Amino acid sequence: MNITARTAWKPAAVFSVAALALTACGPDTSGEGTAGETEEIDWSEVEPAESITFWTNHPGGSQDVEQELIDEFTEETGIEVELVTSGANYEETSQRFQTAQGTGDVGDVVVLSDATWFTNYLNDALIPVDDVLEAAEVDVSGYVEALYEDYLYEDSHYGVPYARSTPLFYYNADHYEEAGIEDVPTTWEEVEEVSQQLMEAEVASSAFAFPPQDQYPAWTMANLVWGYGGGWSDEWDFSTVSSQETIEALEFAQEAAGDWASVASGDQADDFAAGVASQVVQSTGSLGGILESAEFEVGTAFLPTGPNGEENVVPTGGAGLMIAAESEPERQLAAAMFVGHMTSAESTAKFSEATGYVPVHQDADMSDVYEETPQFETAVNQLERTRVQDFARVFLPGGDLELAQTLQRILTEDVDVAEEMERVEGEFESLYERDLAAELDG
Amino acid sequence: MRPQSTRSAPNPRGGCAIAVGTEHAPARGNDAGSPAPDQAQLEAARKRAHRRKLSKNWSLFILFAGPNILLILAFIYYPLFSNMYYSTLDWRLGARTATPVGLDNYITFFTSPSGQEVWRVTGIFTLGAVAGSMILGLLIALVLNKRIPGRTAARTAVFSPYVLSGVGVALVWDFIFDPNRGALMHLLAVFGIESPSWKLDADWNLVMVIIVYVWKNLGYCAVVFLAGLQSVPRDLIEAAMIDKAGAVRRFFSIVLPLLTPTVFFLLVTNIIFSMTNAFDILRTMTPTGHGTNTIIFEIYLQSFGQYQRAGYSAAIAVVLFFTLFLITAVQLRYVERKVHYQ
Repeated sequence: MNITARTAWKPAAVFSVAALALTACGPDTSGEGTAGETEEIDWSEVEPAESITFWTNHPGGSQDVEQELIDEFTEETGIEVELVTSGANYEETSQRFQTAQGTGDVGDVVVLSDATWFTNYLNDALIPVDDVLEAAEVDVSGYVEALYEDYLYEDSHYGVPYARSTPLFYYNADHYEEAGIEDVPTTWEEVEEVSQQLMEAEVASSAFAFPPQDQYPAWTMANLVWGYGGGWSDEWDFSTVSSQETIEALEFAQEAAGDWASVASGDQADDFAAGVASQVVQSTGSLGGILESAEFEVGTAFLPTGPNGEENVVPTGGAGLMIAAESEPERQLAAAMFVGHMTSAESTAKFSEATGYVPVHQDADMSDVYEETPQFETAVNQLERTRVQDFARVFLPGGDLELAQTLQRILTEDVDVAEEMERVEGEFESLYERDLAAELDG
Repeated sequence: MRPQSTRSAPNPRGGCAIAVGTEHAPARGNDAGSPAPDQAQLEAARKRAHRRKLSKNWSLFILFAGPNILLILAFIYYPLFSNMYYSTLDWRLGARTATPVGLDNYITFFTSPSGQEVWRVTGIFTLGAVAGSMILGLLIALVLNKRIPGRTAARTAVFSPYVLSGVGVALVWDFIFDPNRGALMHLLAVFGIESPSWKLDADWNLVMVIIVYVWKNLGYCAVVFLAGLQSVPRDLIEAAMIDKAGAVRRFFSIVLPLLTPTVFFLLVTNIIFSMTNAFDILRTMTPTGHGTNTIIFEIYLQSFGQYQRAGYSAAIAVVLFFTLFLITAVQLRYVERKVHYQ
């Protein structure tokens, strides 16, 4: 067929219409940004909406307690809250929230984890909560400080703490007794001594289990590198990850893994509960599961400190409640009231009791829980030692995965730690350049 | 095979011709009965009739095919072309803005070390999975083709993993592979072998998922091979036996050549399956993809994993689409023309 002006117009028209249709539903590529949308709202002029939606993955099996807290809120304020199961875990919830942007069907309040909220902040999908919480008369000074500061970026908070956890030091008290160990270690040096004793007593196949790549090793091992004065980054300065202190800490871990420690093949909490490893650093959220399946006395202690003596070496973790930017101001105000209710001293005590997450409010009364599960008191007391996580792990897309893969390599292979961490620094720089630089550096 | 297709080809055309003929017949009859109109009127009437018929055909076509076409356009072609458009953007999942980057995503995928690693892993996985399932499937089919007691039960048992949920299969095998508590560890211990730490080593990780995929998939190959084996003419085998050909000779000189269409069909479908259907096993057994980033898994990890690169991920999806398109085209060409026996 000869293509002439007469025959070509039809395909050309179809192509143009199709191209228009495709670009209409995609992201804005004009390069103008969305700066105009972040105008100040006078919250005193806004009336709260009558109903809102709450997107959650029910962290820690919390669907029932969430519904109970919602019912209380509705009774108090008359605002209806629709509870929506938005995924099986934090990642799925964030995926759904991200892909729903622009569809008009986005939850007003959404549960986002320490590692997923920043992406949504970059996508302009969240509002800063400081002003709206004030308008909703939520007193933020009651939150455990480090847990609230996790959501601080460039002078604004983008969420409030909700289902929060920290790593905790677990030990097999029966193994300790068998090996004649009386004092629980408080520093990594003591952990090494105690572990040598455990190995000599041959009570388990390994004295300590490090987490494998897919169990977030960069989260729990932040404790070790901070103890040595290192870290994964200092804000956006990535040189910390290859600093002498970080390298020293990881060389300690590498030597340990070849001697008294092992790397768990699956969840290290399972290895611990099965008695395969005598000690482990694992989330406070795993306490319930461990107590349920362990057939020995489980002991818990503060995370060990390192040679630099710094006590605040407990990384925070878990998820917070965020408010969607796409919602109307009326719904955002109602959402802020709801967020305040879900994280009040009474509510967080109930939530914590039902799930095993740490209470996020300083005034939460946990005495009933402590009586039944004394190990939990250690987890709550340890909150005094918490420290906000490093940007490279929680804000840099792919940063946590890069660290996880490298840590596993260091722990299982005979690689040079300094070389590996220098490579990681370069990798961080290129991830930043590729995915963040254009937005963050303007 | 070919004579059959040439016989069947004219049939639809023939049917169509008859239908057209019967519709025209009454019109001619009417013309013959009335006074002869002039040529122009006749021509106009013919054109009107033609237009009426054309519009009637179009209406019928739209009525019957329209809903399906709309569904196909909405759920296949629209996403397909949207995805191609997204592949030209530097776009973070869920972001309201994106930067057009032309073919940069494709260039990155084909030139970066991580992109090349994806091809390496996909190649090894596909080779291992396809060769493993086909060779084992053929061996099992040869056994199941014999008259042995409990043959039906054995056939069912062999095929059943194929219809099981990939996630369920992966979870069970995850436990089997556990080097501290798993069943495989105990089995290896009987032979004095220490279980490798499957999950901690990228190479073992890949071997692990290949084993699981082959286990799940070989039932499919066995059943298709079995159907192929049962269509091998019995008289050829008997003639070879009379000529004193041994079992191995009979297999390589008679059975295998006659199985070539089956082999080729399985080869192509298995390559496509292993590139697209292994996702459930890979995602469940190796959530962050340690040495198991095949192309389909990489699409997920890049977009929905930690990187959140929707544009880059779309580009990899387009590459996968054209790779599969090419394989399917080759299959259609060769299955039709080259692989046959008389």
